[in-house]
Amino acid sequence: MKRNVAIVEDEPAIRDNYAAAFTREGYQVRAYANRKQAMAAFATRLPDLAVIDISLEDEPEGGFELCRQLRALSAELPIIFLTARDSELDAVSGLRLGADDFLTKDLSLAHLIARVNALFRRVDALRKPLEASQVVRRGPLMLDGERMQVEWEGQVVLLSLTEFWIVHALARNPGHVKNRQQLMDAANVVLDDNTITSHVKRIRRKFQSIDPTFDAVQTVYGMGYRWVE
Amino acid sequence: MSLRLKLLLLGLLTLLLPWGGCRYARQMEDALREGERNSLQAVAQTIASSLQGRTDLLYREGKEHAPPPPDTQDNTDDHPAPAEAAPSPYDLQPIRLGAPPFLDGYSDEWPRTPGTWRYFTRDKHRFGILAGVYERMLYVLLDVEDDHWVFDAPGANPLDASTTGDRVWVGILDPTGAERQYFLSAPGPGTVTARRIEQGEYGQPLVVDEPRMVGAWQPIPKGYQLEFQVPLSMIGRRFGVLIDDRDQRGATAVSYGTLYSDDLHTVGRLIVSAPELTGYLAQFMQPGLRLAVTTSSGRLLAQVDALAQVAVQGPQRGILASFYRRFVDRPGDRKQIVSDAPIYDRDHHNVIGNLTATETADRWSRLRDRALTQMLNFTLITSALAFIAMFAFSAWLALRLSRLRRASESALTREGLITTFPETHSPDELGDVARGFSTLLGRLNEYTGYLRTLAGKLAHEIRTPLTIVRSSLENLESEKGVPSGARVYLERARQGSERLNAILIAMGAATRVEEAISNAERSRFDLVPLLASAADAYRIAFAERRFATELPQETVMIDGAPDLIMQMLDKLIDNAVDFSPSGATITLRLTLDPAVAVLEVDNPGPPIAPEAQGRLFESLWQSRREGGGENDNRPHFGLGLYIVRLIAEFHGGTAAAESLPGNSGARFTVRLVRQ
Repeated sequence: MKRNVAIVEDEPAIRDNYAAAFTREGYQVRAYANRKQAMAAFATRLPDLAVIDISLEDEPEGGFELCRQLRALSAELPIIFLTARDSELDAVSGLRLGADDFLTKDLSLAHLIARVNALFRRVDALRKPLEASQVVRRGPLMLDGERMQVEWEGQVVLLSLTEFWIVHALARNPGHVKNRQQLMDAANVVLDDNTITSHVKRIRRKFQSIDPTFDAVQTVYGMGYRWVE
Repeated sequence: MSLRLKLLLLGLLTLLLPWGGCRYARQMEDALREGERNSLQAVAQTIASSLQGRTDLLYREGKEHAPPPPDTQDNTDDHPAPAEAAPSPYDLQPIRLGAPPFLDGYSDEWPRTPGTWRYFTRDKHRFGILAGVYERMLYVLLDVEDDHWVFDAPGANPLDASTTGDRVWVGILDPTGAERQYFLSAPGPGTVTARRIEQGEYGQPLVVDEPRMVGAWQPIPKGYQLEFQVPLSMIGRRFGVLIDDRDQRGATAVSYGTLYSDDLHTVGRLIVSAPELTGYLAQFMQPGLRLAVTTSSGRLLAQVDALAQVAVQGPQRGILASFYRRFVDRPGDRKQIVSDAPIYDRDHHNVIGNLTATETADRWSRLRDRALTQMLNFTLITSALAFIAMFAFSAWLALRLSRLRRASESALTREGLITTFPETHSPDELGDVARGFSTLLGRLNEYTGYLRTLAGKLAHEIRTPLTIVRSSLENLESEKGVPSGARVYLERARQGSERLNAILIAMGAATRVEEAISNAERSRFDLVPLLASAADAYRIAFAERRFATELPQETVMIDGAPDLIMQMLDKLIDNAVDFSPSGATITLRLTLDPAVAVLEVDNPGPPIAPEAQGRLFESLWQSRREGGGENDNRPHFGLGLYIVRLIAEFHGGTAAAESLPGNSGARFTVRLVRQ
C-alpha cells in the first residue's frame, strides 16, 4: 500500500515540484494550498505523513496552527515543517508543537525524501520488536538506529530527526571530533554553523532535562563536537 | 566668534542709552544755562536801566550836589559829558580796601597789587600815588622820591615861605562844586593834619586845620611816604595832589602832580561811587548772585557779592552724581555765568558804566544733577538689565544649541540612531531646526533599519523562487529521458542555484547572529584555551597561512557565550586570511588590562584606508576590492565585521581597526570585559 503524504504549501510551483518528487518516490501525494483545505481533508482521512509550510496564504503562522490541530488528531503522525524562514524562534516553536523535523526550503529534494523515508522507517520500527543489532549503547546512552529513538539512563529522549542523526553521528565514534560539515552530512541537511550550534544546544538541553549533569556532547572550539563517555 | 560673544557685544549697544542720556543732559544743561543767562541778562538790564543816569550813585555827582559853577571853565565836565566820557591821565580810581589802613606812613597794610600805583613825574622827580576806599573814607598813600627831603622848620608859620620844607597839596572839588585846597607838611616824621589857607576877616590869610583830613609822614631811604585819609563826603568829583619838592627850606619848589601848579585847580577826577550805590545794589541781591558796577573802562565801582551763599540748601551732591558729572561735564564749562549790561546816561547817549551780574552755576546745576542722576540711574539699570537678559538669553540659546549639536553628533553613532531629539517641543525656530533634524533622523533611521533588514528580507524573498528553481531542477534530473547533452546544462544550472543559495545564507548571517545573540546564554569561561584550540583549528583549516599566538599564561575569565566568541574569531580570521597573501603569518594575541582582555588579530595585508576607519564595523559596509581575495568565490556583504562588533558589544566590549605601524598591515582589536 502506498504511503500517503500530505503537502500543505501555498506556493503552487513548489507544491507541484514536491508532489512530483514524492510521487516519483512511490508515495501517494495529496497537496493543499491552505489550512482550511488541509483540515477539511484531514478530518475525513489522516495522511501517513504531513509536510507543512509555516506561512499559508493569508495566515503567516498557519502552519503552526495546522500542526497543533493535526497533533490533536494524531499523536504519532510524523510532521515535517518546511519553511522559507530560517529563524531560530520558528524552529523552536515548530518543534515544541510536536513536529518531528524542521527544515528550510534550501534542502534538496533528495534530502527531503531521505528524511521522509527515515521518518517512515521510524514509524515502522516503533511497531516492530527491538532489534539488538541496530542498537548502540554508550554507557547510559541507548541509541536505536532503527526506531531512531534515544534513551538516556533508560528514559526516552524525544529528539527530532535532525537531532537524532547528530547524536547518532557523534555517539557512534566517541572521542572523534565531528565538524559541522560532517554533522550536516549526517543529518542530511544544509545548515549554517549557527543552526548546528543551536541544534547541539537543544540536544544538550533535552538530555539535561533528564540528567542535569549531562555533558557528553563536548564542544571543540574551532573544530566541532565530540561524544565523551 | 561664538554666538554668546556676539550677543554680548550686541548687548553693549544698550550702553547707547546712558550715552544718549548724557548727550541729552548736556543739551538740557545748555538750554538751562541759556535760559539762566537770559534771565540774568534781564536782571542785569533791569538794574542797569534803574541806574540809568544815576551818576550821583555811580560817580557821586548829582544835579542837586553839583550845580555847574558859572565861572569855572570846566563846566562841560558836568554836562553833557559824563565823568567817564573822556578819561584823563590825572583821574584817580581808588581801589577798594578790605580794611582801613593804619595811618602810620608805612605801606605795610596796603595791598601789594601791581598796577594799582599811579606815577607822576616831572624831570627827574617822581611820585607814586595809591588811593583806596574803605566805607566812606578815602585813603591815599604817596610815595615820593626825593633825595633831599626837608621838613618844615619846627614851629614855623606855614605862611612863611622861608621856613617851609616839602609840602603836599591836596586839591578837591567839593560836592558843592567849590574848589578847595589843603596842604600837608610836617616838621618831622609822624602824624600830620591837613591845613588850608583861608581869607581872614580882613582879607589876611589864615591857616586853618582841617581835622577830618589826617595822616602820617614818614621818611624812607629814597624819599618819604605820606599816608592820609579824607572822608568821601568832603570830596566832589575831582581830587588831586601836588608835590612841592624843595631841596632846602625856603627854596623854590618844583611842583608836580595832578593839580595845576599855578592855581592849584584840580585836573583829575576821583572816580569812586557813592557809598549808597552798594546799598542800592544790595536790594537786588539773591544768594548765589554777584552784582558789580564798573566804570566803562572796567574799573570796579561797587559790588555786592553773595556768590558763596548757596542758593538752595538741598542735599549735598551724591557720590553717584559727582561720578556722573565726570562724564557729562565738558572741560570748558564754567561754574558761573556772567551777564553785562551797560548803564547809560540820562539821555541814553553815552555809557557811563557797566553792570556785571554773576551767578553761580550751583543754583541750576543742582537741579540738573538730580535729573541727570535719576536719568543715568534709570538708563544704566535698564542697560544692565538688558545686558543681563541678553547674557542669560545667549547662555540659554548656546546651551540649547550645544544640546542640539551634541544630539546631532551622537545621533549617528555605531549604536544606531537615536529617535528622541531634544528641543523638538520648543515653539521657536530652534524647535523647527530640531524637528527638522528629528524628522531627518527618523527617516535616516528608517532607511538604515530598512538597509539592515534588507539582506534578511531579500534572502527570505528570494528563497521561495530559488526553491522553485532548485526543486524543478532536481525533478528534471530525476526525470528519465533527459538527453545527456542537456545534463551538462542541468548541472550548471544546479551549480548556479547552489551558489545562489550560498549567497542567501551569507545574506541572512547578520540576522541570524542577532537572533543568536538575543537567545544566547551566558556562562563564565576561560578565553585562553578557547583561543589556543581555535588557533589549532585555523592552522588546519587555512594551511597556506601561518598562525602565531601570543597568549597569557594565566586564565582569563569572560562572562559570555563561547560559541559567539568563536563565531567572532571566525569572522576576524576569515577577514585576516582574505586580506593577507599566501604564506603570511597571522598573529592572534591576547593582552590583559586590569578590567579588559584585549584580543588582537594582526595580518600583514593592506593597511586600513582612512575613510574606512570609522565605518568598517558598520552593517553592509565593505572596503573589499573586487576580486581582492584569492580563489574567493564566497559572497561578501560587509557583514563579517558587523557581526564581530555585535558579538563584542554583547560581551560589553568594543571592536576597532587600525593600520600597523609603517602601514605593514592591519590590526583588529576587540576589547572584552573581564570577570
